[in-house]
Amino acid sequence: MYEKAVLHLDLDSFFVSVECLRDGSLKGKPLIIGGMGGRGVVSSCSYEARRYGVHSAMPMKMALRLCPQALVLRGDMDAYTKHSQLVSQIIEDQAPVFEKASIDEFYLDISGMDKYFGCYKWSGELRQHIIKESGLPISCALSVNKLVSKVGTGEAKPNGMREIPSGEEREFLAPLSTAKIPGIGKETYKKLSFMGVRTNRVLRDIPHTLLDREFGKMGRYLWESANAIDRRQVIPYSEQKSMSKERTFSEDTLDMKMIRSMLGGMVDELAFDLRQDARLTSCITVKIRYADFNTFTKQRRIAYTAQTRTLIAHALELFTDVYERRQLIRLIGVKFSGLVNGNIQLDLFDNTEEEISLFQQLDHIRRRWGKGSIHWANFSMNYRPGTNGP
Amino acid sequence: MEFKVSSGELLKHLNVVAGAIHPNPVLAITEDFLVDIHKGTMTITATNLETSISTRMAVESKENGSVAIPAKILLETLKALPNQEVAFDADIEQRSLVLTTETGMYKMAVDPPDDFPALPTSDGEEILFSVERLMSGISSTIFATTSDEMRPAMTGVNVVVDFNKISFVASDGHKLVRYHALGTSTEQTGSFVVPKKALSLLKGATPSEGNVYLKYNKSHAFFRFEDTEVICRLINQAYPDFNAVIPVNNQNVLHVSRTHLLGALRRINIFANRTTNQVFFGLADNSLTITTKDLDFSNEASEQLSCEYEGEPMDIAFNARFFIELLNALHQEEIHMTLSVPSKPVLIYPDEQFDNEEVMMLIMPVIIY
Repeated sequence: MYEKAVLHLDLDSFFVSVECLRDGSLKGKPLIIGGMGGRGVVSSCSYEARRYGVHSAMPMKMALRLCPQALVLRGDMDAYTKHSQLVSQIIEDQAPVFEKASIDEFYLDISGMDKYFGCYKWSGELRQHIIKESGLPISCALSVNKLVSKVGTGEAKPNGMREIPSGEEREFLAPLSTAKIPGIGKETYKKLSFMGVRTNRVLRDIPHTLLDREFGKMGRYLWESANAIDRRQVIPYSEQKSMSKERTFSEDTLDMKMIRSMLGGMVDELAFDLRQDARLTSCITVKIRYADFNTFTKQRRIAYTAQTRTLIAHALELFTDVYERRQLIRLIGVKFSGLVNGNIQLDLFDNTEEEISLFQQLDHIRRRWGKGSIHWANFSMNYRPGTNGP
Repeated sequence: MEFKVSSGELLKHLNVVAGAIHPNPVLAITEDFLVDIHKGTMTITATNLETSISTRMAVESKENGSVAIPAKILLETLKALPNQEVAFDADIEQRSLVLTTETGMYKMAVDPPDDFPALPTSDGEEILFSVERLMSGISSTIFATTSDEMRPAMTGVNVVVDFNKISFVASDGHKLVRYHALGTSTEQTGSFVVPKKALSLLKGATPSEGNVYLKYNKSHAFFRFEDTEVICRLINQAYPDFNAVIPVNNQNVLHVSRTHLLGALRRINIFANRTTNQVFFGLADNSLTITTKDLDFSNEASEQLSCEYEGEPMDIAFNARFFIELLNALHQEEIHMTLSVPSKPVLIYPDEQFDNEEVMMLIMPVIIY
């Protein structure tokens, strides 16, 4: 019996699964999804490709060196979002409390359901239901808290299911590598390995004062995790707090015209997303990363708005402020935060009738034909020298 | 220099001008009242270099002269004193002032009057209109000014002199109020922008009845009343051309009770998003439905109002806070609004204008997607 029961669901290699669903012929082939350019990064890959050592967040160049025969797809975020929503819908219909942790991850709090349904049985049925309805493989694990469930799902993959009964969670984690704990990255794992700590069994017996000294705040988390302690709640609905876009250039650049155009294009697309969700932003941040990976940001509080023109003007000013070194630029990004639900308050002197109607028509075209169907000649994310206006 | 005056009377006059004194002035002398006696009339002046207020009262004095007295200590002393006749004896050479009352003697340091900044002057022609028009002109418009420093002109109220009428116009871009004071007669036309701060000081210094004599030049406006004069430094910025953006052919007309609409908006606004205050108006044949939704707190509200509506059915959204501010500034019971399409300005008028005035209000809608 579970005092508290948390189910973690994770769609297996989600992007790849969606691609296979859309085109059956891709099944069973090594498939990589990610940016194609010289600096593209693998965002997802099929289990066939993983066999060659490819994993997500790996530079595309390296991935193709490991697995030259792999098929590379750019990925279609809209389609993934649609499938993710489909799965959310199924879960929402069945589960009492659920949290969407990311596009392909869900946490469910099913405490108290043991008595009537049997948590594990109910979970299995839900999983089968999702697989049947969406056609996507999904793995899940049932345990007493988020952490153990998530690690459990990792163990259950691919397309499997796992139960870690109440009271057995410490023993379940003990033999596993510390790298399996979410939040332990390459660096922390390296440091732990140097200390001779490779499994959770060793980690959990280290006095936490020692871990505090070595890892600071992280130390506490390490010790608690190894002991299967996780007090995080399943939070039903998490409001989106910001929206952002960034772009790494295929080559480090100093082409200000292109950078400004691209920045404008990113703001334009984000502003459209804002308006689509009927939201306004009150804080805009511009980020710049130089060729030497030094990253700088500058932000500004503004009056609530979702108007492209105002936002582009702010973004370009911020960019001028933050671009201080005469050095090649590797990446630029823009973020809107301080979001609030609402529509644009028109201004008597700022908005002419023509402008209002122009922007309404632009948005109408984008809603009908897609985001990329129309854009400003001088502000575009797909800037090509020579083809664009000033 | 010696003079005698009733403490209560003096305090009353000091309070009129005290508003002009800045709590942390740039120039130390502006912490003082300038007191000037000439032929039995005392003129008290205070300034913050932006706005100056001076007022006159009769005193008992044999000589002429002037002195700058620190405001804080003088006000505090007079406030703590029961009403009685008090005698002042100022020695400019020694920079001291002795205040003698029935029970005691108080000595304070004073400043030489020559250090006090000279007040601007103008020899323009004065325009006469009633104090009531001035007061309602200010109170109808002052709330609609913006605090956005990027639009300096709109932080003040635009006063337009146009032969037989004086107009007060204020806007923050989302709402606009235009108040015509009619029934004046002048040969002049012109326009100037008075800062909001100066207007609220002017409002405080305006007597309850009588006339106001207005004159202005490029840098200052002069409001003269019977005993008091207020001089305001103007905002040296062109006011945006509001006449060009006020629509003239809004063909849809809504008649509604102001108090009913105001009450409904106040209630609905409680349920609206606290930051954006957005509410939706659904207009159909003789019915007005106001609704709102706050997704963050799952709040929802709707109200239906009886009204007379002639025009196309329409859904239009507003910031309820702006709407409430506008309706609060009106006094008539019945109002009408004219509308064209949901993305264009809406005009609000009282059904019956009061004598010698004409009010028009404008509110910009929120775009609905």
